Amino acid sequence: MAGLTISQEARGQFAAVAHMRWQVFVNSLRSAGGRMELVSGTVIGLVFAVAGIGGAWGLGAAAKFLVSHNQAEWLALLLWPVFMFWQLFPVLATAFTTNFDSSNLLRFPLDYSTFFLIRIVYGSLEPATALGCLWLAGVAVGIGFAAPHFLLWALLVLLVFAILNILIGRMVFAWIERWLARRRTREILGIVFFVVIIGFQFIGPLVNHFGQGARTGVEQLVTQWLPIERVLPPGLAASAIAGAMRDEFPFALGALLLLLGYGNAALFLLNLRLRAQYHGENLSEGTARVPSASEKSPVQSGWSLPGIAAPVTAIFEKEFRYLSRSGPMLFTLIMPVVILLLFRLTPSRSGDAQSLLVRAPDLAFPLGAAYSLLILTNLVYNNFGADGAGVQFYFVWPVRFRQILLAKNLAHACVLALETILVWLAVCLVFRPPSAGVTLATLAGLSFALLVNLSVGNLLSILAPKKIDFGTFGRQKASNLTVFASFGVQIAIFGLGAIVFLWARSHGELWLEAFFFLVLAAFAVAAYALGLNRADRLALGRREALLAELSRA
Amino acid sequence: MPDLAISTENLTRRFGDLVAVEDVNLRVESGQFFGFLGPNGAGKSTTIKMLTGLLAPSAGSIEVLGLPLAGDAVGIKRQIGVVPEGMALFGRLTGAEYLNFVGRMYGLDRETAAKRASELLDFMQLSDQPKALVTDYSHGMQKKLALAAAVIHAPKVLFLDEPFEGVDAIASGTLKTMLQRMIARGATIFLTSHVLEIVERLCSHVAIIHHGMLVAQGSLEELRAGVEAKADVAPAGVPAPTPGEKLTLEEIFLRIVGGTRPAETELSWLG
Repeated sequence: MAGLTISQEARGQFAAVAHMRWQVFVNSLRSAGGRMELVSGTVIGLVFAVAGIGGAWGLGAAAKFLVSHNQAEWLALLLWPVFMFWQLFPVLATAFTTNFDSSNLLRFPLDYSTFFLIRIVYGSLEPATALGCLWLAGVAVGIGFAAPHFLLWALLVLLVFAILNILIGRMVFAWIERWLARRRTREILGIVFFVVIIGFQFIGPLVNHFGQGARTGVEQLVTQWLPIERVLPPGLAASAIAGAMRDEFPFALGALLLLLGYGNAALFLLNLRLRAQYHGENLSEGTARVPSASEKSPVQSGWSLPGIAAPVTAIFEKEFRYLSRSGPMLFTLIMPVVILLLFRLTPSRSGDAQSLLVRAPDLAFPLGAAYSLLILTNLVYNNFGADGAGVQFYFVWPVRFRQILLAKNLAHACVLALETILVWLAVCLVFRPPSAGVTLATLAGLSFALLVNLSVGNLLSILAPKKIDFGTFGRQKASNLTVFASFGVQIAIFGLGAIVFLWARSHGELWLEAFFFLVLAAFAVAAYALGLNRADRLALGRREALLAELSRA
Repeated sequence: MPDLAISTENLTRRFGDLVAVEDVNLRVESGQFFGFLGPNGAGKSTTIKMLTGLLAPSAGSIEVLGLPLAGDAVGIKRQIGVVPEGMALFGRLTGAEYLNFVGRMYGLDRETAAKRASELLDFMQLSDQPKALVTDYSHGMQKKLALAAAVIHAPKVLFLDEPFEGVDAIASGTLKTMLQRMIARGATIFLTSHVLEIVERLCSHVAIIHHGMLVAQGSLEELRAGVEAKADVAPAGVPAPTPGEKLTLEEIFLRIVGGTRPAETELSWLG
């Protein structure tokens, strides 16, 4: 890492990158979407600011309490969450989108030290670093109030800890960037992260569910891990501060040196990665590999659905192939079953040993089915999102828009049917089989809700489309119009459903609810057919906006 | 009366105050390999989008294969193939699935679609990776697949927007072979390209659009004769033709659109 001095040329390059980023931001404000992004960014920024200041205040108060009670070793309890947030948040927030390929910078005459600094500095300009620094400042202030003589030492330790966090964060990111730059590994990593997150959700309920034995096991595990924790960065930082307060300066110095050792290791690994990139490693999507003659196979015919026109079948098949190849989408679709399991294992907040659904299992099937529909609205309200620029062909091919929408609606209805069966089975296994009345009423209500959502979804898919990538987790916002309309429709449907359900239940006649919803569904079919028949005219009138929005890079 | 594959009458497209295409009267006869040229921003893509139904004209009319596009759009779409700008493929299908899908969208039965998909993949040398998704194809492979998809229903008219952009010599050779076969069998091809050498080699007829207006149209020989007749009004920086020497399409193009080469004093610091 020798030669990190900044030459005049490097300063110019640094300023040029900063100016370019500023210019990109300013130019983004030319569009209404860009301005909306600024507004939502400001709101999110305010939320982060509140979290940052509140967190800093809380951590500061906790640090003051621990230090003034001679419990400085327990500062690790404060530093661990900071460390975990600092490392995990950037990965979760940005890992599953297409990343900026740093090789873009390599076409310019950047020397390695400038490239390295640009990667570190601009990579660190993110909420996690801001919040992490703010929280550590809070800890430092807390220590300063409790033990002013040790403030300088604590500041030094926390500064090293902060730099270490930045280096580790950049190092981890640089390494996973290697995999995230490729579609397949990005999807696999996305699924792994989601599994981990959901796994975390289950820890509490499982511990509660399986009682004291499990709790003791967790406690034992924590006790066994304690010595290991002490030699990891947050533990070392806490030890360095606590050692100095106990006047054990060699111990404190040793802990700080170990912390610096971690920093060097992170720097070494980061340097390894960035050097490889600097020397021309290509992280973009791989092109096709060398063909192998043995892989040739005859082309299979497409699907055939009796009584359904070829274009409708073709789009239906395409939709299923898209869904089946999207790990993130498949994962979202099994969420209703996961949620039911969580409800089964989670005790209620009121102190009862059992959750709401355990006490009222009749609600499990309607709620699970409703949640399935809710998840599906992502697709239903943005029918053309995953087609992207391919939507052009719907105007070029000899096919009517009503056929395209019908095929997509059929595919979504089949997915919902499949999910409903899964939810029904999960309810039978986890709670108890729902009664025939509940099942019938739920299916009738679901049919009505689906038809209303499909009708509104078809309209919004043409009026307010948004390009999405089925292979990407997170950061795929629907249009504001879609969000508001969808929200309104769901409130209306669920409100109506709840009223009818309670009314029918109070009369002890659930079949009345089923009848009522079937009548509503019949009206909804008429509205759906009407909307479908007008789809061609609407799409033709909106084609330019539709193509412009979905063909965006 | 010639058999016209594509014809437009006063075709106009405005975007607010900007007139992107103005009063364009195109005449493309059946069986012609027709090159549609113009500088950047001249209105080529806007015109091809209107001809394929992706953009509504502000004024004027379009006829394809003798049928008004505004009247029988679906009937016309059955007989045309399109490779749009940027290809716009469905990335999460395999090549075979994509061709099957497109074949069925054009109304082919399952067996025919699968058979033609297989033949096209073989012809385009794309059959070696049956499990690869289109999104993982290289740019050249995607271009070949886009062309394969545009011809799977044996269209009578083929519209190609920059088909050779970013394609290597091998892939380009495959594309040209396929296009020439189509012409030999009586199809009409309408293409836009910036690569004038390719247009010169492939196309029998050319139209040039400039600032949204059609400034030349005809066979290469007709355009050449027209330019040579006006040799004395060649724009500055464009050398006058030597007597007896045949003008290249690039020279014809530069003379017609008035392209000038920079004076020697400009950018002197470049050395």
